[in-house]
Amino acid sequence: MALTIISLIKQVPLPSEMRMGEDGLMDRTKAKSIINIDCQFGLEAGLQLKKQYPDARMIVCSMGPNSFEPSLRTAISMGYDEAYLLSDRKLGGSDTYATGLAISTMLKHLGFNKDSKDPFIIFAGRQTSDGDTAHVPSQVAEAMGIPQATFVESVKADGKGNVIAKRIIEGGYQMMQLPMPCVISMTPTGIPPRKPSLSGAIKARHAKINVFGVDDVHVNTEKIGLSGSPTIVANVVNIVSERPPVTFCEGHTETELVDSLIENMKKVKSPLTKEKTETTEKKTAEKPDFPYYDDRNGARGILTWAELANGKVVRPSLELLTPARHLADQLGEDTKIITLLIGHHVDDQIPVLFEHGSDEVILVDDERLAEYLVLPFSSIFEQVIRQRRPEIALFAATTSGRELAPRIGMKTGSGVTADCTGLEIGEYVSRKEKVIYKPILFSRRPTYGESKLATILGFVMPQISTARPGTFEVPPRMEGRTGTVSEFKPQLTEEEFKVKILETVRGEGNTVNLFDADVIVSGGRGATGDNLALVKKLAEALKSQGVKAEWACSRVVVDEGYAEYARQVGQTGKTVRPKLYIAIGISGAVQHIAGMKESEKIIAIDHNPKASIFNFADFGIVGEYEDVVPELIERVNARYTFGIEAKK
Amino acid sequence: MDNVDTVYTDVLIVGGGPSGLAASIHLADIINKKGQNHRILLIDKGNSIGSHILSGAVIRPEVFKQLLPDVDFNEIPFNAKVTKDATVLLSENGSFQLPFPVPYMSNKGNYIASLGQICRYLAKKAEEKGVEIYPGFSISDLLYKDGKVIGAKTIDTGVDHHGNPMENFQPGTRIEAKLTILAEGTRGSLTKKLINQYKLDKGKNAQVYSLGVKELWSVPEGNIQPGEIYHTMGYPLNLKEFGGGFIYGLNDNKVAVGLVVGLDYEDPTFDTHNAFQVWKTTPFVSKFLKGGRLVEYGAKTLPEGGWYSLPKLYTDNVMIVGDSAGMIAMPALKGVHLAITSGMLAAETAAQALDKNDFSEKSLSVYDSLIKDSLIYRDLYPTRNFRQAFAKGMIVGPLHFATQMITGGAGFFGRLKSVPDKERTKTLAEFKGKPFKERFKGKLDFDKVLTFDKPTDVYYSGTAHDEQQVPHLKINNPETFQKINIEQYGAPCQFFCSSEVYELHTDKNGHKEIRIHAENCMHCKTCDIKSPADGITWCVPNGGNGPDFQNM
Repeated sequence: MALTIISLIKQVPLPSEMRMGEDGLMDRTKAKSIINIDCQFGLEAGLQLKKQYPDARMIVCSMGPNSFEPSLRTAISMGYDEAYLLSDRKLGGSDTYATGLAISTMLKHLGFNKDSKDPFIIFAGRQTSDGDTAHVPSQVAEAMGIPQATFVESVKADGKGNVIAKRIIEGGYQMMQLPMPCVISMTPTGIPPRKPSLSGAIKARHAKINVFGVDDVHVNTEKIGLSGSPTIVANVVNIVSERPPVTFCEGHTETELVDSLIENMKKVKSPLTKEKTETTEKKTAEKPDFPYYDDRNGARGILTWAELANGKVVRPSLELLTPARHLADQLGEDTKIITLLIGHHVDDQIPVLFEHGSDEVILVDDERLAEYLVLPFSSIFEQVIRQRRPEIALFAATTSGRELAPRIGMKTGSGVTADCTGLEIGEYVSRKEKVIYKPILFSRRPTYGESKLATILGFVMPQISTARPGTFEVPPRMEGRTGTVSEFKPQLTEEEFKVKILETVRGEGNTVNLFDADVIVSGGRGATGDNLALVKKLAEALKSQGVKAEWACSRVVVDEGYAEYARQVGQTGKTVRPKLYIAIGISGAVQHIAGMKESEKIIAIDHNPKASIFNFADFGIVGEYEDVVPELIERVNARYTFGIEAKK
Repeated sequence: MDNVDTVYTDVLIVGGGPSGLAASIHLADIINKKGQNHRILLIDKGNSIGSHILSGAVIRPEVFKQLLPDVDFNEIPFNAKVTKDATVLLSENGSFQLPFPVPYMSNKGNYIASLGQICRYLAKKAEEKGVEIYPGFSISDLLYKDGKVIGAKTIDTGVDHHGNPMENFQPGTRIEAKLTILAEGTRGSLTKKLINQYKLDKGKNAQVYSLGVKELWSVPEGNIQPGEIYHTMGYPLNLKEFGGGFIYGLNDNKVAVGLVVGLDYEDPTFDTHNAFQVWKTTPFVSKFLKGGRLVEYGAKTLPEGGWYSLPKLYTDNVMIVGDSAGMIAMPALKGVHLAITSGMLAAETAAQALDKNDFSEKSLSVYDSLIKDSLIYRDLYPTRNFRQAFAKGMIVGPLHFATQMITGGAGFFGRLKSVPDKERTKTLAEFKGKPFKERFKGKLDFDKVLTFDKPTDVYYSGTAHDEQQVPHLKINNPETFQKINIEQYGAPCQFFCSSEVYELHTDKNGHKEIRIHAENCMHCKTCDIKSPADGITWCVPNGGNGPDFQNM
């Protein structure tokens, strides 16, 4: 019984390699291609598991043009044996739903399915840098009908046919036990990908890359490509950040550097004005005289999910009620917001949902559902959707929301739009079909490393989107507001409880209030040399001057036990918007940037002038934090408060 | 370790520059002609062939016809044929064009090129002929058996800063080769080990070097014509400093500018990169760049000791070719044709050795006699005392050189000795001249239009290094480094480094320490050459690390 380890990879342009062209614009054609970073972590996870199964068959798969071949060869040079590429013009324009479907069909063609006699495991990267959806792994798992774990940092086999995965969640992590076959999608925080070896490169040079067309693997061509995809990209505009480029402080000593910082900060008043988008959209000045078409076919209402942590509805799920209400108002006709609450003994959360805007709460109470599990939860959603037929389903783009929504979308055939920052009802002119779709959900999401804003439309009900936490305000609480409660009894099978949660470690959340701080002093791995002592000291110094200051940190710092989760800023932590954010020893991984980029002013201190944090900062000091921060503390003690008013 | 992979090859070539590629092409041609089947592996540390190649470059084209006899000459991607060639004497504000050609420096019939482009072309030809080329792998060690080299090993990856294996550890691959050809380029790190191991420099002059820093610019139409070349002498260098500038007009309104400075200068605070920036501000140079835009930056050292500094170029199972050997003709500063020639001669030697299956020192001594009968000897021998003479300064040097020209290179004193560059640097106390910063006071504030500070220039080299590895720049002895390099010499590394790797940090208590930003490294090797008292050793970093030159 030999194990097969399958890695799914995508080739993407290397973002940092994109050079300015002669005309000063980003030249994407010259950008080198690499294996998407998260996928590289997936490849490494597979190779790590091979340590436990030295005889494992190692397969790498991708879908894309023939130009993806070099990446497959790179995977072989890292230690994989066989490579398969699904490449066909008919796949062009596929959305994540169609991609998941096509890849799973290829895997089935290769002999891997849920009833396979020999065990297999599929590794994937959490998300790609050019699409950022994180959907495909979930959709492959759903299409194959096997369990999954996403946001996984490390995997080990238990020797009994299961793998134990450490899954990152808001506030901590979970240890999960999954039977094989299963899909694991890896975050880029686990074991870094190995470098190819020369012997591997020699092997890769002579290896055969097996290329399949859609007909070879019998993909249903009606469900792939641009025409088969349930969602389309209606429009893409550039995001023009008005944050000017970073001003580096100059000086040979800490004193000079800090003097320079103070001077620079005086010069620039408020660097951040609201992000604007440059519209390349042709104005609908000449809207054609097509008939309106209501695609909903009777589907009505907006379904949301009330995600729980420690028995309470999480903040992002409450934030979600803001766009939900906005959409309901736009739709009119008394559109209802229906919230699905799944858990055990959670009735006390029902009023919270009503008071924040839910019109109806559907309660599923089951002791087996006390903890979130993607298989039964997606099954419950599917059943509710079939019964209630909502036109829109919204999820917070949390670690759970981002795996649950695509899994549901695969079941309903809807497709999903990931991580939206804007949700509006609009109308869509289809020149091909000569109709105007109205009403239709416009889901807006940043993509290509936050450089573009794409508008995605879905044509299969419900239109499913996930909303980025921290983007929308929590709606004001209307005390005493109430609504309808209905109970729902889902049909669940044993099969859906095959994945076990062995342990959930979640930090307590609410002792620190980062949301109210005017200044946040945040430390990364590069500031842990003294266990964050200087980071804390700087925050303390500011506090003693009467400034509302707090210290925070990046995720690695929490992981390594230097700080509690409540202080974590970033994608799986908090999204903050203080007047001043001081990043110390933070390299600037996108996950962290997502949580702090809307701060009014940002000062970054790091020894590496090329650290990506400087791309997002207003003021940069290149230097060792051990030298610079004590100088800053001295200045603060001498009453310098970065221009932030003290509140006594 | 049991999971170390070994690959076997007949010939291993370390380095994909002109000499290594020429060796591989010529050897493949001979083998193919004889209908033999021998494996040739060529490994390069750059992430692609050409990415670590930097040269002026004005090239003598004849050797390409010898190397690629079956190829249409026009297919070779030279940039522009030299149309105008002038040498100009610069002062701070003026210039004077020499009315006569400088001996050995005529460029009639030569071509301007991006050597990186040429190498990419040669690599394509080599692969067509059956050479296996693997860029992106660094070779850290030679393999020995019974005191003889039997191949080499790629660097272990997946180690922390101290070299301890991490979870993604990958042991390097052993490459066992009947014959290893070192074509690492200037100051090759394996070549250095080999020379020390077998005392191949016994009885030879010390190798001496120059550092060349170069920028590629895109300029408005009309600033310069393709094929126009200028060499400058004088400012900003003084009469004790050897070197000069170059301005080469390229197609598509590109211009390559650079300054080459002999590393035998005495001022411990001399900064070649900054001198280059000052040079660009002279009216003669700046007019070519006006309205233009920086495209690329790079730096590299050049071995220019000449004939007497060539080490013994072979020992059992190994040969040395190209810049690793020191194949540069002075005063023209041309090495590409010699690199290619040495590669071809090594290939001929290798072919004979393969036929005999004898790779002993004796068998490889053919290489030596081939060289003595070649262009290399004809180019290097007459100027064998050139560089040593100029170590005496730009006044005494030309007098010496004039006598050498009359006497066929011997001069009146026979062989002139040379001193390693690091020994020429004076301590802060000994150095009596005006320190660099005072000499160019008011000229070292860079405007980021015409002139650039090092970090900005480094950005334009595309250099990158993996964070997780042992820093590839090693302070050999921290204690003596502190005492000698920092205290007595004032840390010259912070100045001579072309790419802002070394930072002298002074804390509030006045304590000074060197901080190494290895990620900026341009692989020019100046630190290995110029650090007083053997302060620093340059080792190879992970494969694929380093600059990413496109058109240097």
